[in-house]
Amino acid sequence: MATLDTPTPAAAPVPATLNPLNRRPRDAGRSAVAKALGYSAMIVAAAAILLPFAWMVISSLKTNNQVFTVPVTWIPDPIVWQNYLDIWARSDMTTWIKNTLILSVTVTVLQVVTGSFAAYGFSKMRFKGRDALFVLYIGTIAVPWQSYMIPQFIMLSNVGLSNTLWAIIALQTFSAFGVFLMKQYFESIPEELSEAARIDGLSEYGIWRRIIMPLSVPAIASLTLLMFVNTWNDYLGPLIYLRSPDLWTIQLGLKSFIGQYNAEHALIMTGSVLSVLPVAIIFLLGQRYFVEGIASTGVKG
Amino acid sequence: MATIAADERSPGAVGPGPDGPRTGRNRAGRKLKLRNTLIGWSFILPNFIGFAVLTLIPVFALFYVSFTNWNVFGAAQWTGLDNYTRLFGDASFQKALFNTFYYSVFHIPLTLAASLGLALLLNRKLRGVAFFRTVAFFPYITSVVAIAVVWNMLFSPEFGPINQFLRAIGIDNPPGWTTSATWAMPAVILVSVWREMGYYMLLLLAGLQTVPAQLYEAARMDGANAWQRFWNVTLPGLRPTMFFVTVMLTIQSFKIFDLILVMTNGGPGQSTLVLSQYIYQKGFVENQFGYASAVSVALFAICLVVTIIQFIANKRRES
Amino acid sequence: MKRKTPVLIGMTAALALTLTACSGDDGGSDTPPAAEGPVTLTLAGWSLSSTPEFQTLADAFNEENPDVTVEVQEYAAGDDYDTQMTADLAAGTAPDVYVLKNLKNFFTYQSGGQLLDVSEVTGALDPSTGGLDAYEADGASYAVPYRQDSWVLYYNQDMFDEAGVDQPDGSWTWDDYEQAANDLTDGLEGDARGTYQHSWQSTVQGFALAQSGGALDTADYGYLEPFYDRVLDLQDSGAQVDFGTITTNSLTYQAEFGTQKAAMLPMGSWYVATLIAQQASGEADEFAWGLAPIPQVDSSTTGTDATPVTFGDPTGLGINAGIDEEKIQAAQDFLAFAAGEGGANALAEIGITPALLGDDVVDTYFGLEGMPTDDLTRFAFSTHETLPENPVGASTAIVQNILGDLHSAVMSESTSVADAISEAEARAANEAGIS
Repeated sequence: MATLDTPTPAAAPVPATLNPLNRRPRDAGRSAVAKALGYSAMIVAAAAILLPFAWMVISSLKTNNQVFTVPVTWIPDPIVWQNYLDIWARSDMTTWIKNTLILSVTVTVLQVVTGSFAAYGFSKMRFKGRDALFVLYIGTIAVPWQSYMIPQFIMLSNVGLSNTLWAIIALQTFSAFGVFLMKQYFESIPEELSEAARIDGLSEYGIWRRIIMPLSVPAIASLTLLMFVNTWNDYLGPLIYLRSPDLWTIQLGLKSFIGQYNAEHALIMTGSVLSVLPVAIIFLLGQRYFVEGIASTGVKG
Repeated sequence: MATIAADERSPGAVGPGPDGPRTGRNRAGRKLKLRNTLIGWSFILPNFIGFAVLTLIPVFALFYVSFTNWNVFGAAQWTGLDNYTRLFGDASFQKALFNTFYYSVFHIPLTLAASLGLALLLNRKLRGVAFFRTVAFFPYITSVVAIAVVWNMLFSPEFGPINQFLRAIGIDNPPGWTTSATWAMPAVILVSVWREMGYYMLLLLAGLQTVPAQLYEAARMDGANAWQRFWNVTLPGLRPTMFFVTVMLTIQSFKIFDLILVMTNGGPGQSTLVLSQYIYQKGFVENQFGYASAVSVALFAICLVVTIIQFIANKRRES
Repeated sequence: MKRKTPVLIGMTAALALTLTACSGDDGGSDTPPAAEGPVTLTLAGWSLSSTPEFQTLADAFNEENPDVTVEVQEYAAGDDYDTQMTADLAAGTAPDVYVLKNLKNFFTYQSGGQLLDVSEVTGALDPSTGGLDAYEADGASYAVPYRQDSWVLYYNQDMFDEAGVDQPDGSWTWDDYEQAANDLTDGLEGDARGTYQHSWQSTVQGFALAQSGGALDTADYGYLEPFYDRVLDLQDSGAQVDFGTITTNSLTYQAEFGTQKAAMLPMGSWYVATLIAQQASGEADEFAWGLAPIPQVDSSTTGTDATPVTFGDPTGLGINAGIDEEKIQAAQDFLAFAAGEGGANALAEIGITPALLGDDVVDTYFGLEGMPTDDLTRFAFSTHETLPENPVGASTAIVQNILGDLHSAVMSESTSVADAISEAEARAANEAGIS
């Protein structure tokens, strides 16, 4: 490790002329205006992007027959909190959230670990058949799941996995997506770092764990977030595999609660709001790992 | 091993150094190669076993089924190439194929541009950047049912805000959007770009972290303007991620399903019918799983060809 | 790794077996022995908390047959029910008795060998049971109907009075209906309209198929034309909200009729229970309403001394072909009960239209609180010739898909009626192999 030089970005000497603090005043004034403009543009864009979500929240506070009207009513009158109470009181929300959390966390952890492990094999090791195998991985992404889910279901049923959470974990954990994502990221990590570690006598497993993984925090963060969201919002998987109500996930439970003949749109929207919020919080926490400089620490400019 | 590696080290070498026996001792080289392969497989196996059992086997089953008349229940009868020859005479399949291409040709570049723009915009230490990043990601986590409902309302030909706005700026005959066979696909493309840009932004944000800040500074010192810095520093540094994003975006575009299902259900008429939906229709609605599997294989083949082209292009750019 | 290898082999073998072996009919003895002692049957249902019919049938049956317990298993609602059921039947994990939501999927299950022959049960049922012969195939019967909804005309009496339009008297043809819809729209204040036909293809095609002697399995859909012309006229004159607005604003028929935005509504009889419940909860306005027979093509089937023709698929119960032989007798008993008098009364009490509509059952139904009791409503509810929406056949599902595309193309005015029909005919010939 001794030869591994990892200066922090702050320690890197910055030529005085490039330091933003030393810019001439005219630049500073212009950049303040630009900043203000940038912010207002971003706020407008944010409002536009959030519009459907706002409509979801508004609709969840209406009575059912008020949800769809011509023209659209943006202010519910009266405000109905009943939908939220209904869902909490009459449904098994806590069970659904518990199941969904178990699934999301397990799948995400397993996917990140096995996916990045395999990705290291694909990107940093060279052996026969590697590229063909990798194309096989990606190729399966291109096959729509709906078309092979029945054979898969028959298979998992025969080994007794249907109607268990294991089925969903098994299904989601080994997707090619994570392998692909991590492999591409690993390839942008300079080979010199691994080489230096090898000279220091680190094994390949050691390099994966102590060099590559710590440098891949942004990729791990994005894989974690995407896997979490996908598992959280997955509907078709749980629909096919889970039957007993105490195994239901939040998407399955909400859909079932909303029922069939009665188009309870206000409740649908209440459920959607409730199912989005936890994910939004996770995202808010996770996005701070996208900070410039983590991966480039090891590279000398 | 460490000393050999040190001797072998050359800039740009991929893999753990010693894959060519330059020392002239072939036996040792072969041994190393074998060792290398074993280590490589040991990394891949934990994931590959699960992948092979849970995905590969069912996918092989799908290929088999595509040569049969399987209807889910009971035995499958081998029908040879019947399903495939049927594809050539099936106007609905061709319509779905055309629509899938139509969708992809616009969806891919637009989403790429939008997500790259967002990623560049939000890749800085700004006050409130966490909030804006979350906002950009919101469409992706919002339930697709809610998205379809809201956008359909915005697109409503007579009372929708979009057309009201268009009339206000003097367009007398605004498009019918999702209620018009001509405009339904553009409407779907628009919504899907809006929905997915945050998703790919996330991937690109991660990729942007690999571009060394020092390179920007060097470029600045050389007097490069923002555009030149983007073209000469950002894009090359982002190449592995861009490759990933383009491949995924391409495959996902060809497989577009849920958004169309809830937004237009393929209509009006067949104007937004896409391949995945056609597969679902043939399989689960009409119980022709054999034929549905053949359509899946066709979709798979198209994706594979496009992906391989992207692979080769990427390799060429790499070297 | 060591542990995983046998699993891998096992899975491959299992998959190979299921794909090549035929499930369901693996021979078996001739006379199934009836089980001794208590039996537990499993029954598939959906949205159990809001759809009480399955538990109601199970409880009522258990009361008469204490030895047999019917355990209801929850499945997803809507089309997802059939997705789950298909998967479970394919993997052999489906319940003993399952519901056939509509006739479109009955064919799939029957031709796939997933239903037991229940001709004995059917033979012993009241021949007047609605939809009884819909489940016949190759001279045998494969399910029994327990529920038969039919399409009727709901109308808002208060709005008719307000507009000064004569209320329906059972003699209406579609021309009378169109006239009334226009008159109502003119006579009503505000933006209330004469009628509301929901965006489903059945609101046009169901009537056309039932009343004009058309068929799905001959590629000749010209019989749809007058029905589409009428709906397009209503849409143009503003007597009916246009299709684009319905789909883009996700309008619901419950809100359109329940909050008095439309004075008439052709809809299935299942809406009766919903409307009563929504009026009681305040979700729908308070107003006087009634049922009238659905309008007819010509006067030969109108009037309260004739039998109006309408449509609706029965909902049936079938026995899983993979059921334990010991349970077959109990399952057959359950089917006989559900489709018979006992089941019908239990269903009528919770506002569901049973397939067997005897006078007792109709009395029970009209005893519900909030139900209009005028003669025309009673006539409309109990007297009709109900033809299936999805006549059983190999090409039904395919043709319904094609006609669904025709519906959205015509209703959005993307394609003219004549063009859309000839396109559908060409597709039916090509995709379903019919001419």
